Amino acid sequence: MHTVLIIDDSDINLTLIKALVLKLGECNPVLFENPLKALDWCRENVPDLVIVDYMMPDMDGLRFISAFRALHGRDEVPILMVTANDQKDVRYEALLGGANDFLTKPIDRVEFGARARNMLSLRTGQKFLADRAQHLAALVDEQTREIRDREKELIFRMSRAAEFRDPETGAHIQRMAYYSQAIAKGLDLDESVQKLILEAAPMHDVGKIGIPDYILLKPGKLTPEEFEVMKGHARLGHELLNNSGSEILRAGAQIAISHHEKYDGSGYPRGLKGNDIPLFGRIVAVADVFDALTSERPYKKAWSLEDAVHFLEEGRGKHFDPLCVEAFLATWDIVLDIRQRFQDEDAPML
Amino acid sequence: MTAAFKLDKAVILERLGGDEEIYTMMVDMFLQDVENNCAALAASLAAGAMPDLQREVHTVKGLLATFSDDAGAEEAQVVEHKVKLGQTANLAEEIATLQARLREVAGVLGAR
Repeated sequence: MHTVLIIDDSDINLTLIKALVLKLGECNPVLFENPLKALDWCRENVPDLVIVDYMMPDMDGLRFISAFRALHGRDEVPILMVTANDQKDVRYEALLGGANDFLTKPIDRVEFGARARNMLSLRTGQKFLADRAQHLAALVDEQTREIRDREKELIFRMSRAAEFRDPETGAHIQRMAYYSQAIAKGLDLDESVQKLILEAAPMHDVGKIGIPDYILLKPGKLTPEEFEVMKGHARLGHELLNNSGSEILRAGAQIAISHHEKYDGSGYPRGLKGNDIPLFGRIVAVADVFDALTSERPYKKAWSLEDAVHFLEEGRGKHFDPLCVEAFLATWDIVLDIRQRFQDEDAPML
Repeated sequence: MTAAFKLDKAVILERLGGDEEIYTMMVDMFLQDVENNCAALAASLAAGAMPDLQREVHTVKGLLATFSDDAGAEEAQVVEHKVKLGQTANLAEEIATLQARLREVAGVLGAR
């Protein structure tokens, strides 16, 4: 059913046009003698066709068209303007102002029917295209979401693969990722950035895949040579993830290569100092160390929270970015909640 | 002097797609409104409100054309143009002529 808005200050014209609109079939005419009231109606309703007279009190047809077109979402609605044959200048102005076609007075049914149907066909086409575009956009959204979910799952599983070769647990990945997000929140970073670090942080140690078992799984202390090999996991992780088309993987690459850097420049692999260390690396360094300290491992007992906090505080400006430590401690309630949610026995998906 | 109005129902009906119902409805409305139209012309003229008068004359032109009164519509168009240009000489007489034409058309339509 098409809604056809008819505006004419003459009763007789309104009645005639209404009768002709009804003869078109599948049309619901809405009538106004006053163009200002018609414009008010148009603020809440979108007609499929507007038929408007030119010469009316309060507001002429040209001004009505201009005001109507200025309303949001009304720029494509077809408009037929009713004019007399001698009003060529008005017709030019109306065309420039947004009218699509004209009806000549006295109105002829055949001419009216042809022009009105053309305009309604145009409207039907517009709506079809809009619906189709909306449908396609929804499809793209859905498929993008599926791809993104798959990407997140692959990242988690890839991170787990690295952790399987390591005494670390799946819950460690979860906790340090959420701690990283909490620090990003404490630093007042944008929500999209908080989400990005949550999704990328699990890949911090993915380079351990390339470290030989005799070093990675060695129960005792590593020799200096072995430790040098072990340090290579930062670069390996970066090589594995860098230059990806995925923003998450690129962020993961940056974290992999920078999360063992230390604020005073004594870290590895590049010995970067202060703010030369990428922010994500500085954040993950705090999250990763805190969780490692407070988790039990086959070779060590878990530190108490107080001792771990003391370690972070002592490491401010040396090992850690002071602002990241401050942000971490400022979100302490969130930290405790994360510890509660992700215990070492289970490791739900991010 | 404009020729007397002669009703050509066939031409009007042809324009209306042969729809007698719409035709009858329009005639009834014209007859109901004709005195209001004459009064509106007089009021605008008396007030010297030229834009209003131009619009009222324009409406009359459309009404006469609707009933295929080509001569009357042409006369109205001449008056509309003069009003638009602000030419007021003989305007009162011309408006009176238009009022008379409206009543003449109404008389013919009412006698059908």
